[in-house]
Amino acid sequence: MFPIKKNFFLTMDSEKQTLPSQPSQNALAKAATIPSELIFQIFKYVTSTSDLKSCILVCKSWCRCGVELLWQKPVFTGNASLIKLLVTLSRNSQTFPYALLIRRLNFSFLGENVSDQILQRLSSCERLERLTLGGCRRLTDNGLLKLLDKANGLVALDVSDIENLTDAVVELVGERCRRLQGLNVSLCKKLSDKGILAVASRCRNLRRIKLSSCENITDESVVVLAKNCSHLLELDLTNCHQITNEAIQPVFENCTQLRELRLACCTNLTDKSFTKTMSALYEQLRILDLTSCALITDQTLLKISHSAPRLRNLVLAKCGNITDEGVCHITRLGKHLHYLHLGHCSRITDYSITQLARNCTRLRYLDLACCTQLTDASVFELSQLPKLRRIGLVKCALITDQAIITLIENRVVQHTLERVHLSYCVNLTVPAVLELVNSCFRLTHLSLTGVPAFLRSDVQQFCRQPPKEFTPHQRQVFCVFSGKGVKELKQYLNMVIAQQRNRIANGVGDTNDQVAGPAAAVGADIEESVASEAEGVGGEISESGEGENENGYNQNNYRNRNHVIDSNPEGDDGYVGF
Amino acid sequence: MTGAPEQRNVKLTSSEGTEFKVERDVAEKSVLLKNMLEDVGESDMAIPLPNVTGPILQKVIEYCIHHRDDPVPAHDDDTKKTDDIDDWDAEFCKVDQGTLYELILASNYLDIKPLLDLTCKTVANMIKGKSPEEIRKTFNIANDFTPEEEEQVRRENEWCEGR
Repeated sequence: MFPIKKNFFLTMDSEKQTLPSQPSQNALAKAATIPSELIFQIFKYVTSTSDLKSCILVCKSWCRCGVELLWQKPVFTGNASLIKLLVTLSRNSQTFPYALLIRRLNFSFLGENVSDQILQRLSSCERLERLTLGGCRRLTDNGLLKLLDKANGLVALDVSDIENLTDAVVELVGERCRRLQGLNVSLCKKLSDKGILAVASRCRNLRRIKLSSCENITDESVVVLAKNCSHLLELDLTNCHQITNEAIQPVFENCTQLRELRLACCTNLTDKSFTKTMSALYEQLRILDLTSCALITDQTLLKISHSAPRLRNLVLAKCGNITDEGVCHITRLGKHLHYLHLGHCSRITDYSITQLARNCTRLRYLDLACCTQLTDASVFELSQLPKLRRIGLVKCALITDQAIITLIENRVVQHTLERVHLSYCVNLTVPAVLELVNSCFRLTHLSLTGVPAFLRSDVQQFCRQPPKEFTPHQRQVFCVFSGKGVKELKQYLNMVIAQQRNRIANGVGDTNDQVAGPAAAVGADIEESVASEAEGVGGEISESGEGENENGYNQNNYRNRNHVIDSNPEGDDGYVGF
Repeated sequence: MTGAPEQRNVKLTSSEGTEFKVERDVAEKSVLLKNMLEDVGESDMAIPLPNVTGPILQKVIEYCIHHRDDPVPAHDDDTKKTDDIDDWDAEFCKVDQGTLYELILASNYLDIKPLLDLTCKTVANMIKGKSPEEIRKTFNIANDFTPEEEEQVRRENEWCEGR
């Protein structure tokens, strides 16, 4: 039978209601035509809050059904609406026990406007199931302890980036919220094993846990977690520097359903973590992030390619030991592999990239930044990928215009490419890049930082603002176009070229026309003057320049950008998963 | 199963006792009937549907025949969008309100999720953009709030204004 939820008053024990009287049958004979059990069903399709609000004012039975939907997952337009909600909750006589209707709260977009006082006023929400407070940095234990004290039914909690949070809160969660399935405590740097052990030993239904940048965490937490929570699907240990092979072993032994494993910057890990422990087949594993696990070698990749055959996202940035052999192992993943980051794996050559392009034909995202041995031959092979949306070639300095031309000669890539990173590909010229911009109509991001041909104020006027923390030098060479900027660049360069052609056609071009600023700039004069400077800066900039400061990664109050850039294989637009 | 050579007919009886013959794959659009048929196995007995009247059963069968080759909807396919109703379905729902409600009840009872979705969406679309008073008029509903009660509910829910 199809489950139709009975309306609130039929299912909930509550004394506070003041609307108990059923409407008299006579007066409402006609109104009764929609059976009340179906009103709830219909309301699920009333998606706009204002329509739903109209519904609750229609009559009492509509009201009962509507308030439940309206309150289960309140959406706030801003602080003012939150305050109004709190006012309702603090009223002595309420038509409905509103606090008990609230199942989900998400305050992350209110950020620092959320205070302990606000949480305390919500402590009557005893039926909370999902609570999202990521980035509410003003919160402390006081507010959270109060709110969580009665939240026995909590299923998911996100308190990421609340600096002040201590073990006391996580211990209370372990004590109260036995049904917990998801916990995000990323960037809660004060947490230690004490708190995590409380959760790991009691919340056996845990499915997802994010401990990114909880730097005090040691193997002990992870071992208990792995042994007690065998249903784990997602484990994020990014930047947990103390983690060793000892922690990873029980994870692979017990959590065979793992879907996502992030170990970026767990710099102690060696091949042992994988070769000796991946004894099962991890068919669910889709995402593996090993950024800066610099000790691992091709042996790990051999093991992974056999034990996790359906891996979709693989991040190997800054795994400097990886060679062509390792990349060839990865090609076993074939069409399953959609996302691969090989930034700073500078040992790899055209040979393995060729194998990659021929075997992993569904690659959508590929980063090869600082793979300095790669040449146009790699790009030629990659241009055959039918689904390639994003390609990163930052500091692949051997790349020439020829690579760009082969890339766009492939008609498929013209329809798929959205983001192209060519910073510090110093040989590129304006005409080749213009070809790229003209033919890839989906292009929304193009980075050309430190490419001498583009270090001209007339072109840079269309690039976006460099990040605030950049030094003057870095600002000078910064050249990243996104969204509107790409379009403007395209229009401008086409105009310049057209003017130039006109001049030549009219015979003006021959007359050493120094005044014709933009047109002449396509030539070589200006490039050279800036080029020397750019090269000088190149070295120092490599860290931030390579990340290109993709849009948005700091939007969700994630300040800790170094690892955020790298541990971000889902998309290059920054950390968006809370 | 469709296209199997011995496609057998299934007999259904409406609340008034009218008998309907439908092909098995059409009947199986209803999860209730599908389960019953699987439990009972081959049988010539008519299945009684005391909660569904003849005219409504006729409509339901019409829907199931039109959609007989649709893929089975995914279990958690929560398509809450209300602007994706195709022309045939929209035409199908051009019935008086009483019939529409009976269709909702029948599709709920027979467990035909796509039809339940369609009919509920149709009603939801009739609500869109209307004031409480306009909704009352549309559905012929009496306002049973006292002015005080109505004012209190309005005030308590003020927080969700503006969306």
